[in-house]
Amino acid sequence: MKKQYLCLAVVSFSLLLWGCGKPAANSGEPSSKSTKPKYTFALVAKAQSNPVFESARVGAEDAAIALGKQLGVDIEVEWRTPNEEDAEKQVEYIDQLVLQGVNGISVSCTEAPTLTPAIDRAVKGGVPVMCFDSDAPLSQRFCYYGTDDNACGHTIMRELAAVLGPGHHVVAIPGGNQNSLNIQNRIKGALDEATNYPNIAICGVFYSKEVPQDAAAKMEEVQTANPDIDGWAMVGSWALFTDALLKWEPGKVKIVAMDALPAELPYLRKGVVQKLYAQQTYQWGWQSVDLLAQKVIEKKNPNAIIYSPLIPVTATNVDEFEQNWKQWLRK
Amino acid sequence: MATAHLSNPSPSTIPSVFKIGRKRPHFKEAGLLGVILALGLFLAIFGGTLHIPGGENGSAQTVNKFLRMDNLNMLAKNASFFAIMAVGETFVIITGGIDLSVGAIYCLSAVCGAMFLSYFGPGGVGAGASMFWVMPAAVGLCLAVGTLCGLLNGLGVVWLRIHPFVITLGTMAIYRGIAFIMTKAQAYTNFPSQFTDGFIRHPFVWQGTTLYPVPLLVMLGITILAAWFLKHAVTGRFVFAIGGNEQAALFSGLPVNWVKLKVYAFSGLTAGIAAVIMLGYYGSASSDAGKGYELQVIAAAVVGGASLIGGRGTALGALLGALIIQMIDNGIVILNVDQNYSQVIIGSVIIIAVLLDRINSLIRDRRLARAAQLASDTASAKINFESNSSSSTK
Repeated sequence: MKKQYLCLAVVSFSLLLWGCGKPAANSGEPSSKSTKPKYTFALVAKAQSNPVFESARVGAEDAAIALGKQLGVDIEVEWRTPNEEDAEKQVEYIDQLVLQGVNGISVSCTEAPTLTPAIDRAVKGGVPVMCFDSDAPLSQRFCYYGTDDNACGHTIMRELAAVLGPGHHVVAIPGGNQNSLNIQNRIKGALDEATNYPNIAICGVFYSKEVPQDAAAKMEEVQTANPDIDGWAMVGSWALFTDALLKWEPGKVKIVAMDALPAELPYLRKGVVQKLYAQQTYQWGWQSVDLLAQKVIEKKNPNAIIYSPLIPVTATNVDEFEQNWKQWLRK
Repeated sequence: MATAHLSNPSPSTIPSVFKIGRKRPHFKEAGLLGVILALGLFLAIFGGTLHIPGGENGSAQTVNKFLRMDNLNMLAKNASFFAIMAVGETFVIITGGIDLSVGAIYCLSAVCGAMFLSYFGPGGVGAGASMFWVMPAAVGLCLAVGTLCGLLNGLGVVWLRIHPFVITLGTMAIYRGIAFIMTKAQAYTNFPSQFTDGFIRHPFVWQGTTLYPVPLLVMLGITILAAWFLKHAVTGRFVFAIGGNEQAALFSGLPVNWVKLKVYAFSGLTAGIAAVIMLGYYGSASSDAGKGYELQVIAAAVVGGASLIGGRGTALGALLGALIIQMIDNGIVILNVDQNYSQVIIGSVIIIAVLLDRINSLIRDRRLARAAQLASDTASAKINFESNSSSSTK
C-alpha cells in the first residue's frame, strides 16, 4: 500500500512540475520558437452544438493566419465554448481566460445580464472584451459585431408580407428559447413590423427547445392545430435542420426564415421555403479577430456597434451560395 | 359430519367479500384512462371547431379542432418517442432503479444511425448501395448501440454496486459526450428516402387525410409485448419481485443481477427503437437530440403509475402517462394558451395526475385491506364454529 501511495505522489509531483513548466498563454512578447510577438485571442460562443458557430470558428482561425502575416505577429485563437447553451459556464470560461492571460476575448452572450459582470471584471483586469452575434449592451465591452436583431425581425416579416401578397393571412412565429435575448429582439421586430400590415393576423409565438427535432415537432403541431396559418416568419430556423417539413406542399404555406445553413437549402430548392436570410457567421469569427487585433495590436478604437447585413438566399442563387460553405466549414 | 359440510362450503357460506372481489375487474390503469377521457372531453369541448375546405362538393367542412384525425395522429406520433422509452424506463423503475441516461442513449443511437444513413444517402460516399441491407443494418446499429449502452449501465449497477442514479448520471454525460465528439456539433441529414418516406414516414391516406401511422404502430407493438412480458414471462414476475423486496428475492434464489442486467439493457433497447423512429421521421440527428428527454420519460413512467421506490408499474401505464403529457402540450396549442405558461401547466397537471392515481390506489388498498380483514374475521369465525361443533359432538 505504501508503494502505491509513493507512486501516486511521484506521478502527481511530476505532473505538477510539467504543468509549471508550460509557457503562459499571455505574451505580446516574442515566443521561444519565432521572433514574432505572439497574441492569444479567445472566442467564447454560445454552444458547440449549434452549427452556426462552427463557421465562426473557421473564420477566426483563417483571420488569425491572414492578419498575423499582415501585421507581422503570431496570432493564436483559443476557442472556449460550452457544449450546450450555458451562461454560467461562459462566465467561468471568461474568468479562466483572464487568469490565463489572453490578450483579448470575443463572446456571444447566452444571457446578457449574467455575462455583464464577468465582462466588466475582465475589462477591469486589463483584457479587452467585445461581443459577437449576441450583445451585452450594458457591459464595458468595446465593440459589438453581428446582426441587428430587431431590424432582422422587421426584415423577415416585411419579406413574408411581400411573399404572401394581398388578402387576409394568418402568420405564426416559432420562438425558440424564451431566455435568448437576440431571438426575443427578432420576435419583437417581427411583431412590430406586422402592425404595418392590417391584412396579417398573428396566430402566436410558439416556443420550443432550440433543438431541430423538437422545433419541427412544435411547428407541425401548431400547423395541424391551426390549418388557417398560411405564413411562418421564422426568426429562428431550427426546424429546417430536419427534413420533416419537406413533406409540406410547396407554396401552400409561405415561409421566410433566418440563416441559410447547408441543411436548410433543400427547402429552397423544393419551394417549401421562399426566402432565407443568411447571417454572416463566418464573419463573426473573422471580424472578432480583426477587431481585437485593431484594439490590442494596432491600438485603434473601432466603432462600438457594427451591424453585419443579412444575405438574401432564394431558389435562384442557392447553388452559388452553397459554394461558400465549402470554405466556411472547410469541406 | 359438520366437518365435511364445512370443507365443501355451499355458495351461501362463501363470504360475500370474495364474491365482490371476483366481480370487480382488477384494471390498474382505469384512473389514467379516466384522466385521458376527461382531458380529451375538455379539449374537444373547449378547443372549438375549424372550417376546412375540401368537403363534399368542394364545400367547407366543419371539424373538431382536437378530434381531427390528423391532430390525433400528430399527438400519437409526438407521444411515441417518449412512450417507447417510458416503457423501458418503467421496467427499471419497477426494480427500484432509475435510468437517467435514456435521453443520451437515444441521442448516441440516433447519431450512430444518422452517420451510417448519411454515408449511404444521396450524395454520400456509399450512395447506390442496396437498401435491402442498408436499412436493416441502420436499424440494427441503432438497436445495438442502445442495448450496449443499457448493458453498460446494468454492469455498473450490478458489478460496481453503485447506485443507479449515480451510474446513469455519469453515463448520461459520457454517452452525450461521445455523440458530440463523433458529430463535431454537425447535424447529419440526407438519408435514403427509402428509410424516411418509404418506411418510418410512410404516408397512409384515410378519408382524404394523410396520416403517418408507423410511430403509432411501433409504440403499440412495444407496449403490448412489454405488458405481456411483465405479466406472463417468468423474468417479468422476477422484475416485480426484485422491486418489491430485493433481499427477499435474493434469498429466494432469484437471479437478481442477471434480471437487472436484462432490465437496463431493455431500457437502452427502447431508447434505440425511439431513435430509429426519430431518424426516420425527422430525417436528421445531431448531438443535442433528446436533450432533457430523460425527465419527460421518467415523468411519463411516474404519471403512468410506476413507483419510484420499486415494485409497481405497468407498460400500459407508461404509454398512458406519455399520452397525458403530450395531450397537455397539444391542449396548450389548441386552446391558444400563452406559451409562457406551458411549463407551469404541464408540471401542475403531472402532479395532479399522480395525486389522483395515488388517491385511487389508496382507496383500492383500503378496500382490499377491509376485504382481507373481513375474510380473516370470517375464517376465525369458521374455526371457532368448527371447534365448537367438534367439542359438542364429542
